[in-house]
Amino acid sequence: MAHFVRRKRLNRVALTLAFAAMLFGMFWLAWILWETLRLGFESLSLSFITENMPPPNEPLGAGGLANAIWGSLTMVALATFIGAPVGILSGIYLAEYDPRGWLAVTVRFVNDLLLSAPSIIIGLFVYAVMVVRMRQFSGWAGAVALALIVIPVVIRTTENMLALIPAGLREAAYALGTPKWKVILRITLAAARAGVLTGVLLAVARISGETAPLLFTALNNQFWSTGLSGPTANLPVTILQFAMSPYENWQHLAWGGVFLITLIVLGLNVLARTLSRKFSS
Amino acid sequence: MSEKHLSSQFDSDLTSVSTKLMEMGGLIEIQIQNAIQALAQFSVPLALEVMIAEDRVDAMEVAIDHALTTIIARRQPAARDLRLLLAISKITTNLERAGDEADKIARRVKSIVESNDARKMPIGDLRVASQMAVTLIRRALDAFARLDMDAAVSILREDDLIDQEFKGFTRKLITYMMEDPRTIGDSLNLLFLAKAIERIGDHAKNIAEFIIYIVKGTDVRHSSLTQIESVIR
Amino acid sequence: MTLPSDSFSTEEALPAEEAFSAKLSIQDLNFYYGKFQALNHINLDIPANCVTAFIGPSGCGKSTLLRTFNRMFELYPEQRAVGRILLDGEDLLASRQDVALIRARIGMVFQKPTPFPMSIFDNIAFGVKLFESLSRIDMEERVEWALKKAALWDEVKDKLPQSGASLSGGQQQRLCIARCIAIRPEILLLDEPCSALDPISTARIEELIAELKADYTVIIVTHNMQQAARVSDYTAYMYLGDLVEFGETGQMFFKPSRRETEDYITGRFG
Repeated sequence: MAHFVRRKRLNRVALTLAFAAMLFGMFWLAWILWETLRLGFESLSLSFITENMPPPNEPLGAGGLANAIWGSLTMVALATFIGAPVGILSGIYLAEYDPRGWLAVTVRFVNDLLLSAPSIIIGLFVYAVMVVRMRQFSGWAGAVALALIVIPVVIRTTENMLALIPAGLREAAYALGTPKWKVILRITLAAARAGVLTGVLLAVARISGETAPLLFTALNNQFWSTGLSGPTANLPVTILQFAMSPYENWQHLAWGGVFLITLIVLGLNVLARTLSRKFSS
Repeated sequence: MSEKHLSSQFDSDLTSVSTKLMEMGGLIEIQIQNAIQALAQFSVPLALEVMIAEDRVDAMEVAIDHALTTIIARRQPAARDLRLLLAISKITTNLERAGDEADKIARRVKSIVESNDARKMPIGDLRVASQMAVTLIRRALDAFARLDMDAAVSILREDDLIDQEFKGFTRKLITYMMEDPRTIGDSLNLLFLAKAIERIGDHAKNIAEFIIYIVKGTDVRHSSLTQIESVIR
Repeated sequence: MTLPSDSFSTEEALPAEEAFSAKLSIQDLNFYYGKFQALNHINLDIPANCVTAFIGPSGCGKSTLLRTFNRMFELYPEQRAVGRILLDGEDLLASRQDVALIRARIGMVFQKPTPFPMSIFDNIAFGVKLFESLSRIDMEERVEWALKKAALWDEVKDKLPQSGASLSGGQQQRLCIARCIAIRPEILLLDEPCSALDPISTARIEELIAELKADYTVIIVTHNMQQAARVSDYTAYMYLGDLVEFGETGQMFFKPSRRETEDYITGRFG
């Protein structure tokens, strides 16, 4: 009986500690969200998404971040367009063709390195191979740098999602006499599609807030850029620049940008979560 | 059965039903013994005892059948377990019928005594056959307990001896009856008793056949001794 | 309770040699997982239009043997089969054989139901499209035929466009059987097809197996001895990679000729 009481008490202590730890974490998270919402919401207006960046010392509410939003959108889209297919195909190779071969083992190791590499290194790399050679900061270089961040994330999730498909499903498809490419395309990839899509969405969420790789590649631009061949405006670098500036209207806009990115990342995460729940059911 | 099942409950179920069968066999043995004794001494109390025992035997038969159906329903026995259970069911029937024969002997003894014909009955000729029959039943039960096929085969052989004895006795009775028609009433009584003893021997033989069935899985009813011996080898 | 009267001589207790026409003839088959030998010199003739069951304890090689018939083991590079498996006289293990065509002739259903991530209709049509190009109407007919054969048509005819995953476990397994039948194989391999199903679904599948043997040669691997006794005509008992005994099912479950078989069947194993 005494044993039973002691066990109950221990359980209560552990529960209280876990709850306190959870509260501690949630407190900071809620504060960050609250500040972002409070400060960012004020600076939202129609002009925020329709007008280009204003010069410093304009009155509050004048101008917007339209050029940065558009630049970010195009670069993220382009990076996803390059990175996702490369990542998915590599993931398929790792999961379906020779998963234990030396090439797969090496690729997996390098991919893990890339996955955990600080993004500034990727920015510096693209700066060295593209920006220096072309003697020009460009949106293209920015997109490539972002694509290099997308690839390892997508490879990892694709491989994991395909590996989760039960061997029985694959065998059942082969047992009908299905050729390998068709098994992968119609059966395993189809069964894992929600998971793979989730991976891509998470990668998009990740790059939409990346600043470091863009600092060395796309740089930034005060004006609307028509193509991606010159320095291109983008949200993260603009936020950095504006937030560090002494001008109140710029700081104001930076908060608006932070709010927008937070909203997008939140939205993408919710979408990814819904998809993966659908996948697991 | 030498090796044990993975389920020890199954083992104890089988052991328990085999024990019940042996118990019933013991009862039958006493019943036959008493019937023969009643015949030898023309003792009505012994004959009554045999007739009373019939109820206990019937109850045992029902109990064994119930145990068998329970095991079959719960365990779905296969191979030698299945053969054992089927054979136990058949052996029970044979034992019960052997008991019926004892009962018949007892009833006949009672009616002979009541009609005051007892003293002039020449029952000496039945003594050998009746001793053989009761021994065969005991040996059949022994052979079942040990699943001993050699013992089973020797029972088959000795039942043939009882059958020959019966035929000889019948012939002798016919001669008596032809010589002196006044003996017909007594002779029919004797024939009836001899037939019952012969039937007890047959039931012992059937039990022996089921022992071969349990061990070898071959149904040796309606086959000759030489055929049976080739199966065992 | 009657006793079989037709089993007098011991010779009859053994399977009659060549009493049936062999659909599949396994000759001196050895199987290796890397260096480990999983099957030892298997020789076995599987009769046409009968249900043959493989029984034995886990790891005895019964599933391994089944998976050599459609060369499933080739998906895994470290697995190797040596010997001959003759399907109507043709050696399936010969390298010139097209694996896809072998698998069209020998269908397989697995332990867990594996509906493909597509509609019920497409689950059936998928396999058919691999080997035949049918018109829309012919395909609809084929799908209906296969679903009827698998005793599933009445339950799914109104929801063919729904996902195969929306069916119950037992229905999914019958869908897999229908998918197999749709490409009109000659042999059906069933690898513990009921082990994930409840007793009623199991009974349905067993009923189905009994109907299928009119048109197909069925080989079933099962852990459930009662199931083997119920559905099969012939039973093979395997132990540690050896084929211990093969015979007519009634005989195997009543009076097997090998002591090892009897011990396993009566639950004295271990």
